[in-house]
Amino acid sequence: MINRPFMTLIQREVWRFLGLYKQTLIPSVISSGLYIIVFGESLGSRIGSIKGIEYIHYIIPGLVLMNAINNAYQNSSSSIMQAKFLKFIDDLLITPLNGLELSIGYMIGGIIRGVMSGILVISLAWLLADVMIVNIPLTILNLILISWAFSALGVIVGIYGQTWDHIAVFTNFIFMPLTFLGGVFYSIDMLPEFWRNISLVNPLYWMINGMRYSMLGVHDSPPFLSIIISGMFVIVFSSIATLMFTKGYKIKE
Amino acid sequence: MSNLAVQIKDLNKNYGSTQALNGLDLEIPEGSFFGLLGPNGAGKTTTINILTGLVNKSGGYAKIFGHDTVSDYRNARKLIGLAPQELSFDFFFNIRDMLALQGGYYGMSFKTGRERADELLNQFGLSEKSENNARQLSGGMKRRLQIAKSLMHDPPMIILDEPTAGVDIELRHMLWKFLKDQNKNGKTILLTTHYIEEAENLCDTVAIIDHGKIIEQGSPRTLIKKSGSSKLEIKVKNWKDNIINDNRDFSFINETLHIPAEKPEKEMIWWIEKLKENNISIEDIHISKSSLEDVFLKLTGRSLND
Repeated sequence: MINRPFMTLIQREVWRFLGLYKQTLIPSVISSGLYIIVFGESLGSRIGSIKGIEYIHYIIPGLVLMNAINNAYQNSSSSIMQAKFLKFIDDLLITPLNGLELSIGYMIGGIIRGVMSGILVISLAWLLADVMIVNIPLTILNLILISWAFSALGVIVGIYGQTWDHIAVFTNFIFMPLTFLGGVFYSIDMLPEFWRNISLVNPLYWMINGMRYSMLGVHDSPPFLSIIISGMFVIVFSSIATLMFTKGYKIKE
Repeated sequence: MSNLAVQIKDLNKNYGSTQALNGLDLEIPEGSFFGLLGPNGAGKTTTINILTGLVNKSGGYAKIFGHDTVSDYRNARKLIGLAPQELSFDFFFNIRDMLALQGGYYGMSFKTGRERADELLNQFGLSEKSENNARQLSGGMKRRLQIAKSLMHDPPMIILDEPTAGVDIELRHMLWKFLKDQNKNGKTILLTTHYIEEAENLCDTVAIIDHGKIIEQGSPRTLIKKSGSSKLEIKVKNWKDNIINDNRDFSFINETLHIPAEKPEKEMIWWIEKLKENNISIEDIHISKSSLEDVFLKLTGRSLND
């Protein structure tokens, strides 16, 4: 599978988002900076600390995750959607690349963008808030798994979607509420029992929990479960995406 | 490698209740310049798309140089270059890098791809535009770029779906010359076209497809001979019945003799002499040569542009 055609697809995907860095990487860094300044600096001083961590530091893993998710998803979904609209998806479908290589190639493009945006936000947080990562390998693993899961979801939506609205629906109506309700800005221990239990069925809560543990060493739930849940999403979404490419669902007649 | 560039047997494709291909059989010898003619909806593009992997077949098989397009798709696809009817480019890159990436999908290194892209851009008169995006090219340039893209990995067979549709005459002739040269250099070419002149000029073999089936196949000359109908028309004055005693096939309508003839020029000489002998004056002579268009019309009952 690691052959030249496959590597070319990854190269193409990375070049695409790097070439459009003003639209792809920079906006997420700016919005994260604003979150850190507004929520961290102004509100943080009033909130104090959560689980012994300064509030400004406590929100950073969630911001990293939000950016990784958004960038990974946007990369694969919009790249496939554009290829479909402009018809050059056919240029790929006629090549010797198979469904697995095509889906993984697109996913890796999204993973690289997701991880890069995560690292940029971490760097910004270090500059603005002097945050230090407790476990770098685990943070990288979490970033990769989360980016992979959402990049794979982006492939699915990119193939399935018929309009740009379909892509936006996931971002605006699913990711955004689930991320905010998953504890980016708070610990679920601060919630009433009912809402705490509701939060436990939100997969993004688990991902934020894992990211927070790897970056800051604190958690609300067992962190190994976070890795398992992220891994499960990776497997399920990647399998569906690969099956769609292999069968030519909505891209072949 | 087999001697057949394309071998299709009992190929079927259904789109819901619509049968696009209905047991299509087709063989294209290696090195031939093959034309696939048919009206809209006859099954030309579906056939091409099954060969290239853009459409999943419902039944039968297709092989490219002996490689099955499904079970051995990697090898089959490496051997074809496709220039589809609809222009499609990766607009994120300049045309040089776009071509280099296309080469990469077939296993070419980026460096080699750029060299090959330069070669093709030069060949197609697009060198000056190599740093431009495909969006910035004119329609004719885009058409040339589309063909250049299909040749990036130097496949032994190229498939061109209506390559000269909507291009001006000058470019059409330039493309014809280029394609002829490619064929002379050993490339097998499969071409679909609406321009009958194009098929007659370029193709050594033509297959007529209708309702998802090949209904006739042969060299343009053989098909014209077999199914065409050249004729001689002579407008006369003072026509007399019973002057033609030979068993000659003709009809006299509106002061005009209508004479079906395989070789109308030869037939004309005989008729001129005969009419002269009988003091019948000739007002006008018209030779109507049959073409693939006539063959097509006769076989399908439809015009190629239907």
